[in-house]
This record gives sequence, C-alpha cells and structure tokens, in this order.
Amino acid sequence: MNDMRILERTVDTNEVKIVAKGVQVFYGDNHAIKDVDVDIQDRTVTAFIGPSGCGKSTFLRCLNRMNDTIDVARVEGDIRIDGEDIYDKRVDPVQLRAKVGMVFQKPNPFPKSIYDNVAYGPRIHGLARSKADLDNIVEEALRRAAIWDEVKDRLSAPGTGLSGGQQQRLCIARAVATEPEVLLMDEPCSALDPIATAQVEELIDELRQNYSVVIVTHSMQQAARVSQRTAFFHLGNLVEYGETSQIFTNPQDTRTESYITGRIG
Amino acid sequence: MTDASLPANPAAPETRKSVSLVAPDARTQKRKAAEARFRMYGIAGIATGIFFLVVLLSTIVASGTGAFQQTFINVSVYLDPAKLDKKGNRDPEDIKKVSTFGYTPLIQQALFDVVETNNLETPLAKRGDMKALISASAAAQLRDVVLENPGLIGETVDFRILASSRVDGYLKDRVKREDVVRDKNIDAEHLDLIDLLVPLGIVEKTFNMDFVTGADASESRPEAAGIGVAMAGSFFMMLVVLVLSLPIGVAASIYLEEFAPKNRWTDLIEVNIANLAAVPSIVFGILGLAVFIQFMHLPQSAPLVGGLVLTLMTLPTIIISTRASLKAVPPSIRDAALGVGASKMQAVFHHVLPLAAPGILTGTIIGLAQALGETAPLLLIGMVGFIASNAPDGIASGLLDPNSAMPAQIYEWAKRADPAFYERAWGGIIILLVFLITMNTIAVILRRRFERRW
Repeated sequence: MNDMRILERTVDTNEVKIVAKGVQVFYGDNHAIKDVDVDIQDRTVTAFIGPSGCGKSTFLRCLNRMNDTIDVARVEGDIRIDGEDIYDKRVDPVQLRAKVGMVFQKPNPFPKSIYDNVAYGPRIHGLARSKADLDNIVEEALRRAAIWDEVKDRLSAPGTGLSGGQQQRLCIARAVATEPEVLLMDEPCSALDPIATAQVEELIDELRQNYSVVIVTHSMQQAARVSQRTAFFHLGNLVEYGETSQIFTNPQDTRTESYITGRIG
Repeated sequence: MTDASLPANPAAPETRKSVSLVAPDARTQKRKAAEARFRMYGIAGIATGIFFLVVLLSTIVASGTGAFQQTFINVSVYLDPAKLDKKGNRDPEDIKKVSTFGYTPLIQQALFDVVETNNLETPLAKRGDMKALISASAAAQLRDVVLENPGLIGETVDFRILASSRVDGYLKDRVKREDVVRDKNIDAEHLDLIDLLVPLGIVEKTFNMDFVTGADASESRPEAAGIGVAMAGSFFMMLVVLVLSLPIGVAASIYLEEFAPKNRWTDLIEVNIANLAAVPSIVFGILGLAVFIQFMHLPQSAPLVGGLVLTLMTLPTIIISTRASLKAVPPSIRDAALGVGASKMQAVFHHVLPLAAPGILTGTIIGLAQALGETAPLLLIGMVGFIASNAPDGIASGLLDPNSAMPAQIYEWAKRADPAFYERAWGGIIILLVFLITMNTIAVILRRRFERRW
C-alpha cells in the first residue's frame, strides 16, 4: 500500500524540496541565525556541520517550526516547502510537523509500548481506517527503520526498555510512520555507540529513497559518509553549501577548510 | 626546579614517610570521628522523633480507646398503659403527648425492681435514687421505641439503655471513689450498687457503635455523644473539595505550566499562588464568611460552604504539587509528541499528564487530608460549636443542612467541662487519624502502582 503511494509520487530527484531565503533567528537579543539561504533537494541527504553553537540545530528546528515552542525565539525570512511558505499565518504547525518529521538528539520514545510509540502519529492524524490497517503501518514503519526483526515478538513491551540504538531506530520508525516528506535529524547518533551508529547511518541512506533527509551532525566523517550535500555553519552564518565531495575535498572558504582540517571548532 | 631551590629543601624525599594503610594516621582518624559524630546526631534526632511519636500515639490510644466502649444497663421495662396512654385508645397522637418525663419513672422503677428481686444490699431505698445510674437520654430512647410500636404498651420489654456517664466513668476508672465525695451527680452508695449489678450482667461495658455512627449530644449527657454525624459533615465537605479543587487545580496548573506565556503577569500569579499556600487558614475562613455567607447568602454551618472554603485553601497545594509534577516530565517527551505532529493539547493530555498523574494524585490526596484536619476556617462559618443532632438524609441535605466536621467536633468536645467529653475528644482523634493514615496510604499505593508501569 505504501509502495503504491511512493510510485504515485512523481518527484524528480533533483527537484528542490525546501527553499530558505534570508532566514534570521533571534533568541531574545541573541542573533542566532544570520541571513541564511539554503535550497534542500528532495531524496537527498543534506548534512549541516559546524562547531557547537553555530546555529545548525536552530536552523533545523526552523524547518518544522519547533522553535515556536520556545517563547523568546523569533524567526524572520522566508522558508518554503514545495513552494508554500511555512510561516504563513494560515499554516498550522501541527500539519507541517506531520509533513516534516523529526528525530531528536537523545532517543525519546514515549513511555508506552513499542507498538503505541509507532502507532501514535498515525492515530492522531487518522491515517489508519482499521486496526489491521494500523498494524500494517506500524510493521512497515518498523521495517523501514530496520528494527522490525528485533522487536516483532515484543511489540507490547515498553519502548523505553530497548537499548539506546534500538530506541533511536524506534524514534525513526515513529517519525516515518506519519508518512512525512522531509525527515529532520538532530544529531541522531550522538548518544549511540559505533555499531548502533553504523546501523542508523545505513538506515539514513535507505530513507533517502523516499524522503528528503536533513541531518545535523558533529561528526564530519558521518557527514562525509551519509550525505550528498553539506552545509557548513559558523557563528550563525552559512559559510558554504555544496556537494559533500566538493566541501570535503575542495572547500572554497578558508573557514570551511580550517574546520574540516581540525583547526577551528 | 632551579638550583637555588635545592638547598632550601634538601631532605624533602626523606621526610616523606611511608604511611601504613593498616594503621590510619591522625588526620584520617579525625575525619572518621567527625563522620561518626555526624551519624550520631542524625540517629539521635530520629530517635527523639520516634520517641515523641510513640508517646503521642500511646497517649492517644490510651486516652481514646475508652470512647469506643460504653456502659449499658440491661433491664426489662414494664410499659405502663396508665402512664403512657391514659385514654387507652393507642392513638399515636395521644402517645406523642407523653414527654420523656413520663418514661423516666418507668425506667427507674424497672431498675429498682431488679435491685429488690435480687435482694441487693443497698441503702438506696427509693425508686428515685436510681436516677443517678441512668443516662438522661435513656427516656428518649424508650419513647422512640414506643412511638414506633404503640402495640408494646402494656407489655414488659427488654431494653439496653445507656448508663449515666458517671457510672460509665466508674467502670472505666475515670470516676474514682475519692472524687465522688464532691460530686452531686452520684454518691458512693451508687457505686456500691454498681459493683453488685456488674456480676449479674445488668450493667455491662460493651463496644460502642453509637460513638462511630451517632450524633453529638448536649453538654450534660456525654454518654450519648457520637462523631458519626460530624463524619458525614466531613465527608460532604471532602466531596465538595475533591469535585472543585481537583479539576480547577489541575486545569490551572496545566495552563500555567504548559500554555501561559512566561511574562511578568504569570510570574506574579506564580508568586502569589506560593504565597496563598502560606496564608493562615483562618484567613480563608473569614474570606468564606464574607463571600459565601454574607455576600452570596449561602446557608451558615453548611458543609457546602465549608467545602468551598477548604477548596480555596487546598487549591494552592494542589496547583503547586501539580506544577511540580508537570515540570518533572522530561521536555524530550513534549518534543517527541510535537515532532510527530501532535498539537500542544494532545502532547499534554496524551503524554505529559499521564506521566504526571501519580504526582498530581499524591498532591491532591495530601491536600484533601490537610483539608480534612482543618478546624480554623470552620470556626468562622459556624461549623464549630454547633450540635449536629440529625444525620443527613440524601446529598442535598448533606450539603446544605447545618453540620459539623470531625476536627470541629473534637475541638468542641475538648473544650467542654465534663471529663467524659475529654475521652470522646481523644476517641475522635483516633478516628480522624485513621482517616488521614488511610488517605496517605492510598496516596502512596497510587504513586507506587502508577510509577511501576514502566
């Protein structure tokens, strides 16, 4: 059923999914993001790299309006997904977040069963017409998150009882279960060991078939491994943005080169 | 290391002694002593606390258990038609005209007959001498039975009537022989007679259910006083408090914690809620008097008003504990819910509130327990000093009819002159404590059960 829908989507691989122009973010008096322009392509993994506090997570959170939950945060500029301004007054952030899913730095499964964790999104969005329908969605999401085989026998066990890597893949399953078009990942592997990281990275590469994935990472090796395009942020500015191979082998900006070679950051 | 520094400290490597791990040095011993001392202080403090708790509990139990026992007189009363139904037509209206004064002589006669038929040696030779043994409420007890069954008139019926509080006190060692000399209610001869009646089973001390279920009695008959009606008053007040303060308190906390913007106004509200929790409860009482009784003209002494006042008093406690438990829910859960496209309200009601529920419930039950034991605000709305005589029938009467509450009833008894009421005050405290301990236990169980889920 899901495969059908994917086939129906006639999106060109090189089509631009998100267009951000002149984005500024203020936390109270702190100017966190300064005039950032980014085009994010569909069915591509885009990595945001940069030193701590450079604004990459803040910018990521602009893309599904998670900054709305912070009282002092103020976002200016123009962000469009498929040509629609997401900061338009008529846009309901709830609907936006169903379309732009998010995976957080720390695995944060709900203290409910594995099944309920994944089923929560489809339930509140009314994606399933019957129990069997919901079962299919849950299984499909868990399969896509490459965790189905590990949990299929204990779907009613608490999600918080899984290991860290499994929890993070459960969170990814939860995010893909709502059929998003864009998947935002905020340092998804920072709390994981190398083996779990490798599993999640493999998963990210598979997710690229269906989604536009934006990943924030501290690890340049990870960015080089999983992404096709990379954006380097520094002190709230987007310093350089381009093909990952180009950024890592032939950076145009000296700051990018310094960061990649380990001289700043 | 420069050359200059070398001669200044030439023996440095030698002065450093090798410390044995088996024999601790002075410094370590001193630290150990300080630690042991601190531990001693802690144990001493806890021991003192436990000592006073034991003293308190044993005093309460020792002084209060008497209230759960009462002395009764088993006697067969001849219901004389000549006294109770002079016209002889058994007309209920006519029977009602005979007051308790008509019944008193019958009871006294019955008891006097017992004394005579058993040939008990006593200088009390008149029927009227029996008065000191019998409770003043016994006649009313008899009259109620007769009014219900007029057919009993003319027959001899077995009754279990209340003994007077002095007799009761004598059997409970409250009334001593040496005190009786100065007592105009009872004489030593009466006590001698009691000593003779007890082996016969005429006078006996049994469990007193009337104390738990009955109503308060007038100041002259402590033997008839019970806490049951005040318990009903407390129950209806708690009902009002629970129904109002839980939803209002939880809704207010959710709004303040999850939805309200953080600005100067919400800060002000937050500070003032904390202040309200510290306001003396009598201030809430006077607020209730002004608002609910003088302004809104709700009935005085009504559990409804008491419940409203206690709601005001309990709300800050509930709001503070609810906000604390909402705050304790990790923000990552909110992010997770919002991240899959839940609305703020769904995030709160589906995820945050269930996680905060044990804390909210605990806070609510603790708040209710606090309200249950509150006396001061009830003083001002007329629930103290009132003799609640009738048990409420139904919810409306329970909420609106004048009533008292358990702590108010205890206070009322404690200030009465007759030492028999003192015993009942302690008994009331036992019942109140049983309620409070039960509620706190429920709070603990609920918290355990809900927290154990994951």
